[in-house]
Amino acid sequence: MPTVDIDPDELRELTGREEKSDDELKDDLFGLGLEYEGQTEDGAFELEFAPDRLDRLSVEGVARSMRYQYGDARGIHVPSPNSPEWTIVVDDSVPEERPYVTGAVIRDVDLDEESLESLIQLQEKLHATMGRKRAKGAIGIHDLTMLKGSAATEGNPTIEYVGVEPDGDRFVPLDSDAEMTPAEVLEDHQTGQTYADLVSEYERYPAIYDDLGLFSFPPVINGRRTEVSTDSRDLFVEMTGTDQWTIDKMLNIVCYALAARGATLEEVRVEYPNGESGGRELVRPDLSTKTKSVSHDRIETILGIDLDPDEVIDLAERSGLEAEKREGGADGDDLVYVVTIPPYRVDVLHPLDVIDDLGRAYGFNDLEPKYPDVGTVGGRHERSRLEDSVRTQLVGLGFEDLLNFHMISEAENFDRLEIAPDDEVYGAGEPPAIKGPYSEDYTMLRTWVTPSLLMVLERNTHRAYPQNLAEIGFTAAVDDSENTGVAERRRVGAVLASHEAGYEDAKARLQALCRRFDVDLETPPTDHPTFISGRTASVMIDGEAVGVIGEVHPKVLVEHDLEVPVAGFEFDLEALR
Amino acid sequence: MQLKESQVAVLEAASADEATSVDALAGATDLPPETVTGAAFELEEEGLVAIEERVDETISLTDEGTTYADERLPEVRLYEAALEAGADDAPVSMGQVIGASGLEGPQVDIALSNYARKGYGSIDSGEITADPDADPSADAEANALEALSGVDDAPVDSVDVDAETLEELDRRGLLERTESTVREVTLSELGVTELMAGVETAETVGQVTPELLTSGEWEGVEFAEYNVEADAERFEGGRVHILRQTADRVKDVLVGMGFQEMEGPHVDADFWINDCLFMPQDHPARTHWDRFALEEPTHIDDLPEDLVERVERAHREGVGDDGEGYHSPWDEDFARALALRGHTTSLSTRYLSGEEIGEIEPPARFFSVEKVYRNDTLDPTHLLEFFQIEGWVMAEDLSVRDLMGTFEEFYAQFGITDIEFKPHYNPYTEPSFELFGTHPTTGELVEIGNSGIFREEMLEPLGVECDVMAWGLALERLLMLMYGFEDIRDIHGTLCDLELLRETEVTY
Repeated sequence: MPTVDIDPDELRELTGREEKSDDELKDDLFGLGLEYEGQTEDGAFELEFAPDRLDRLSVEGVARSMRYQYGDARGIHVPSPNSPEWTIVVDDSVPEERPYVTGAVIRDVDLDEESLESLIQLQEKLHATMGRKRAKGAIGIHDLTMLKGSAATEGNPTIEYVGVEPDGDRFVPLDSDAEMTPAEVLEDHQTGQTYADLVSEYERYPAIYDDLGLFSFPPVINGRRTEVSTDSRDLFVEMTGTDQWTIDKMLNIVCYALAARGATLEEVRVEYPNGESGGRELVRPDLSTKTKSVSHDRIETILGIDLDPDEVIDLAERSGLEAEKREGGADGDDLVYVVTIPPYRVDVLHPLDVIDDLGRAYGFNDLEPKYPDVGTVGGRHERSRLEDSVRTQLVGLGFEDLLNFHMISEAENFDRLEIAPDDEVYGAGEPPAIKGPYSEDYTMLRTWVTPSLLMVLERNTHRAYPQNLAEIGFTAAVDDSENTGVAERRRVGAVLASHEAGYEDAKARLQALCRRFDVDLETPPTDHPTFISGRTASVMIDGEAVGVIGEVHPKVLVEHDLEVPVAGFEFDLEALR
Repeated sequence: MQLKESQVAVLEAASADEATSVDALAGATDLPPETVTGAAFELEEEGLVAIEERVDETISLTDEGTTYADERLPEVRLYEAALEAGADDAPVSMGQVIGASGLEGPQVDIALSNYARKGYGSIDSGEITADPDADPSADAEANALEALSGVDDAPVDSVDVDAETLEELDRRGLLERTESTVREVTLSELGVTELMAGVETAETVGQVTPELLTSGEWEGVEFAEYNVEADAERFEGGRVHILRQTADRVKDVLVGMGFQEMEGPHVDADFWINDCLFMPQDHPARTHWDRFALEEPTHIDDLPEDLVERVERAHREGVGDDGEGYHSPWDEDFARALALRGHTTSLSTRYLSGEEIGEIEPPARFFSVEKVYRNDTLDPTHLLEFFQIEGWVMAEDLSVRDLMGTFEEFYAQFGITDIEFKPHYNPYTEPSFELFGTHPTTGELVEIGNSGIFREEMLEPLGVECDVMAWGLALERLLMLMYGFEDIRDIHGTLCDLELLRETEVTY
């Protein structure tokens, strides 16, 4: 789970609740769904957050939510930005994979070390969540005084979002002293290397220019010229991405955080080229609210309590929402609320999300649990009953029941048992293979159970013998006749390892098992590379070859560092049905 | 009276006039001393004999002591070599004397450390002097060694050596002291009386045999007694795996609460695993880092077309008049891609869609305890594959309170009470809760599950028109809470430790 670092002193300051102790704050944060995980070296709280309320990725947003929780704030507050001065012109050359841009100007910011750090953290956390590691949306924040926009339209300065040749213009990226082309940044700069995959396939790279040249190479890195410091007074925020809604919402969250610090917002015009979007012109940030119609009845059934309309409206206001009653519906008694959602919320998709907010404001833990008054009949699946009854018999026959992994390596499943996937023997078969496995121990699903049992024997040679082990286990093989392309089978595998273990011991137990399930067992001789020739048989149940039984070949034993004989069998669980 | 054979023999061999040792009785009866001891105690219990115990100390020379008894003590040999070299007149180089003495190895140190102690002379700056008045023949330790030479396990009071010298020899490791308990048996008056009246031997039998039973002989025999307190040979036998047993327990509880078991494919299309769950396709959990995608085979053959359409519409546009979709890409090819299921909610979506067992009418309760696969780092609390407990309840108008009541009931069955509900976020449930419970031993608040009411964006495409609440948790987590295991890898998988599985206490 992702975490966010919040300085408790800043939280106290921004909520105006100087008297709250650390422990009280922790409790209040838990109520918001922010779980205290520990403390950073600087004494900040590390809080685990669920990735829905992305407006709480910085201390400003958390403080806002807490003020609502404390009842110190109510309803919706929307800042009013000043009219736009700056324009972002989107050029035709912009890479088609990353066509969208948005932005805002922030004036009169007062950044100290803490608030700058908080802003950088917010930027990083938004990148990691909504921005999908910058693939969907990337944020660039610049010192406005370092930008020079040409007065394209009557004194209004302009910057340009364009596509550039990878080896085109040079600029000095952050954390560097050298001028580099975008391609060189991807090659040589540490941040460039990290994000190279996002743009390396593009024909042209995204770039933002002012009159002085390239100052931002989204989504990779900003130029050093416009770097923000504690001395910066005015900021230019730009965001680029693959989806306009996403970057607009990210922008709103950043704007709200800065406004909470006392800054003034100023709009920015975004002009798209005369292409498919038809020369669309936007004014950002888009701080419009939206509404959801929430039925009173639904609120009551979801929360399981009766509520007065006034109570509902109160709960909404304490959640930072605004609710208005609307008597509606054909029969006139369908009470519905029109609930207004503030612009920084990205998680409200459906009226149900509003009900969740109301529940949180009410306090879910204050609801009294009740057992649902509906009667149903329980029961086990037939396959799981069969498995259990076979397991009971195996345990009665003296086997220790095992539970092994379904994933395995090719070497363990095939090579170490002297078989190959395309051998015509029991246990062979084409395995479902895992794409790009991270561990060479787990590259495929096992095609049979015996390899896992031998691995357990190998691991436990220092433990007391006899080791009579059995597993009713999942196995899989590629099978075109199945809808998923994979045949999934349960198999009954058993091994007997002791100084006296032999074929007869295995056969005796297999016979007992078959007798108990009233199936007919025959064991005609066969050859199988895992077992000793002349001491191996095919397991035929009710006339069908469904498995193998034998004494494990010394070559396989030695391969598994075993110094005792091992006899065993494996067959399809279905055969006992 | 009738007595066991060994008891009769001991009784007859013992005397009323003088105490007879167990060893002497063993000689007389031709029985092993431990049998005699056993019989004597049994007789004592009957009041037929009296037993007196005393502890005897015996001494013998150690191997080193025997060597010095033969070759004489090293310090004596050093003294004689020193005299030879004229060290009684003037100091002589130590090397020369040692060379002449024939002492070697550790014996040199032994000689040097005892030389001055016993007044044979002095050693100073590598030179040795000898006291002309010293007399080796008066050396008490040397004389004691001689006296003890050839003596084996002699009672300490039978040798003519004073206690102080014995102490010194013991300290030097030349002597071994052994303590042994000696028991002596004397016939009691009752014993004498009974002997006079006549004592018979009762026959004892080792094994019950078919002959004994069929012949009726068993009626007249006494069975030889076993040492019933002794440990028997270790036996393992069969045993259900502890995690499986826990799974079965969970299943029992759920069946008892009216839940029916689901089952379905481990390898499944992302459509069933995630898309039907209203998980956006660019959700971080759906990236290749977290899931096990399949290289071969790659895609599912068939998906119900109209369902795919409805699911895609929910993702893009949302559900209901006021609904909004995700601002995320949606690609049918990705939905068809096969992977190892990351949760068993894929079974729930298959069942809820009506594709698995037909339309399900409310009310209904379903569950599964099945394996899921997560591309995590293998460590003491995380496995790449583990069991997930999944359950859901379908009914009209379910509330958060119903959800809480159901879970309280479920967890109470495992001794976990006082559950806390932390509001949480899942893409597929709203409201959602993480469940926390108090660890039974550490008292810590630990996460024990994730739950919620399925979103309409999930249920509507699946054709479900009432409420469904669901929850999930890792079975291994419940197991670790119940048993306090520290490393799950010892339990589940091919790295398991058989000893741990064998030793784990059975619970019920």
